[in-house]
Amino acid sequence: MTALPTADSRFRGNDTLSALDHEAQKIVAKYDEKRAAVLPLLHLAQDTIGYVTPEAMEWTAKWSEVPVVHVREVVTFYSMYHQKPVGKHHIRFCTGTSCVLRGCESQLNYLKKKLKIENGDVTPDGKFSLEEAECLCNCEGAPMMQVDKDYHVDLTEKKTDEILDGLK
Amino acid sequence: MEAILSRNFNISNAWKLSVAEERGAYQTAKKVLTSSKPEEVLAAVMASNLRGLGGAGFPTGKKWSFLPKNNPKPVYLVINADEGEPGTCKDRYILERDPHQMIEGIIISAFAINSHKAYVYIRGEYVRPYENLQAAVDEAYTKGYLGKNALGSGYAIDLVVHRGAGAYICGEETALLNSLEGGRGLPRLKPPFPAIVGLFGCPTIINNVETVACVPHIMKNGAEWFAALGIPGCGGTHLFSISGHVEKPGVYELPMGVSLKDIIYKNAGGILGGRQLKAVIPGGISAKILTAAEVDVKMDYDSLKNAGTMLGSAGIMVMDETTCMVKMLYYATKFFAHESCGQCSPCREGTGWAHKIVTRIYSGHGKIEDLDELLRIARNMERRTICVFADAAAWPILSYIGKFRTEFEQFITQGKAALLEPAGAH
Ligand SMILES: Cc1cc2nc3c(=O)[nH]c(=O)nc-3n(C[C@H](O)[C@H](O)[C@H](O)COP(=O)(O)O)c2cc1C
Ligand code: SF4
Ligand code: FES
Repeated sequence: MTALPTADSRFRGNDTLSALDHEAQKIVAKYDEKRAAVLPLLHLAQDTIGYVTPEAMEWTAKWSEVPVVHVREVVTFYSMYHQKPVGKHHIRFCTGTSCVLRGCESQLNYLKKKLKIENGDVTPDGKFSLEEAECLCNCEGAPMMQVDKDYHVDLTEKKTDEILDGLK
Repeated sequence: MEAILSRNFNISNAWKLSVAEERGAYQTAKKVLTSSKPEEVLAAVMASNLRGLGGAGFPTGKKWSFLPKNNPKPVYLVINADEGEPGTCKDRYILERDPHQMIEGIIISAFAINSHKAYVYIRGEYVRPYENLQAAVDEAYTKGYLGKNALGSGYAIDLVVHRGAGAYICGEETALLNSLEGGRGLPRLKPPFPAIVGLFGCPTIINNVETVACVPHIMKNGAEWFAALGIPGCGGTHLFSISGHVEKPGVYELPMGVSLKDIIYKNAGGILGGRQLKAVIPGGISAKILTAAEVDVKMDYDSLKNAGTMLGSAGIMVMDETTCMVKMLYYATKFFAHESCGQCSPCREGTGWAHKIVTRIYSGHGKIEDLDELLRIARNMERRTICVFADAAAWPILSYIGKFRTEFEQFITQGKAALLEPAGAH
């Protein structure tokens, strides 16, 4: 069998992924078993490409020496992996208990109106995408949201304006 | 009280090695690795009455002693930094602001259990904490505090930081192991327990971030000192997260056994806007709710168990008189329906169903019979699944309806409007 694609056959011309090969090698080397590298490899591919493409799944499967179907199962299990492009800035808006207590619903509605999108949507210009999230464990700063890497706490309409308007 | 775990939280750049070292980081680990025996560390941790701070409260020394003797396989130390329990924010402070405290704890703990490889599993959304932690690990390697000859002791310790990818269930220790092995985060049947068959089939100790962060303090100041900070059978302090309707939400380090009332009214400055207290969840969303009349309770494993709830992750969520319990149950069931891993049918179906029924009630189309139906579904979820997630999912249903039934009935018969008035009498 060994239907696993090789860098030479499948990925010829796929510069983005093959540029990550060196990094992939280092990641795999950190683990006692190669299969443990599935999550970090997917993170790396997604951070580079913007989402997890079918090619990225095959590339991950190749490096971690597991079947592609295993990688696909992993991608669908975890909420942070996206199988289609998200916005240039991805927003996780917390709708956990503490944030609800501190008024996240009206803040979320404000943000939806401002960006004219609903949960799961991307703005037409591709700049923002919105995901309603479960507790992000910054409850002491509720209501809060994550934009890309950063947490923003104690949200008000004014603060949301400042954060989003300040992004390129 | 003197700050122990939180002593560096407000020191700027304490995540950098130079700053951490000025504050004494790694001195205890150096001493332990060069002049103590692993058995001595184990004995001290046993005597300190340290209990796991990830939620279950299992005595840490006892857990370590379950590792098989004369075992030929590698032993792994896995740190649970997947903090995800709604209402809990404490591990984030250690990871982001004082990661060296945890790394030093890992070094000493790994030495005690004869492990040469540790993994820290950090939740995927914690990007900034991850960056600080990884930078701290890199610095510790560069200085030779980690690696083949850790702290010049001749003992080898490798540490890998592994990022999760958004799944609450990976906080459950065996789901965490599956996720760390590159798979879906599905909890495993126990036994075998991870101490016998854990990561990659090898003996594994899983501890919470805060638990290992306690270890250097125990070794520095002595087991008796640590035990005396807490209450009999449960030593040390704890990082309590408090959020919701209080004036000063935050993370407070307080002794085990502190009064819940004091945390709310003294540390957190009382109820927001001077309003009246209605209810408190004392230990993360999975803990049963307490009414205002029940908050005169001590915050430790046994006292809260006696009060019919649990300390859990010590994430306190405070609700004032304006809070609608139907709405809170709607959000609680949404969480559990979303996060069930789906392996066991009572959990998968039960959480989905319960959320559907509560949604119907919340949208104004509920029937009185729905309440008993919800209780029935919840009871069917208890004690019959692979992991305790399903029990945890049942508890908000049982306790919110159990303690605020009149309010649920009013909501159903009189509609939402009646509920938006302060429900002071409850
Ligand atoms: C559904 C579920 C979620 C959990 N989430 C966490 C978590 O986020 N962090 C944590 O340390 N423990 C969590 N636990 C507890 C772990 O399974 C385990 O008991 C703990 O990590 C052991 O460490 P300790 O003994 O140091 O507390 C969770 C348990 C369950 C059942
Ligand atoms: S109880 Fe729920 S979360 Fe736990 S293993 Fe079963 S389905 Fe998964
Ligand atoms: S509920 Fe929003 S951060 Fe916890």
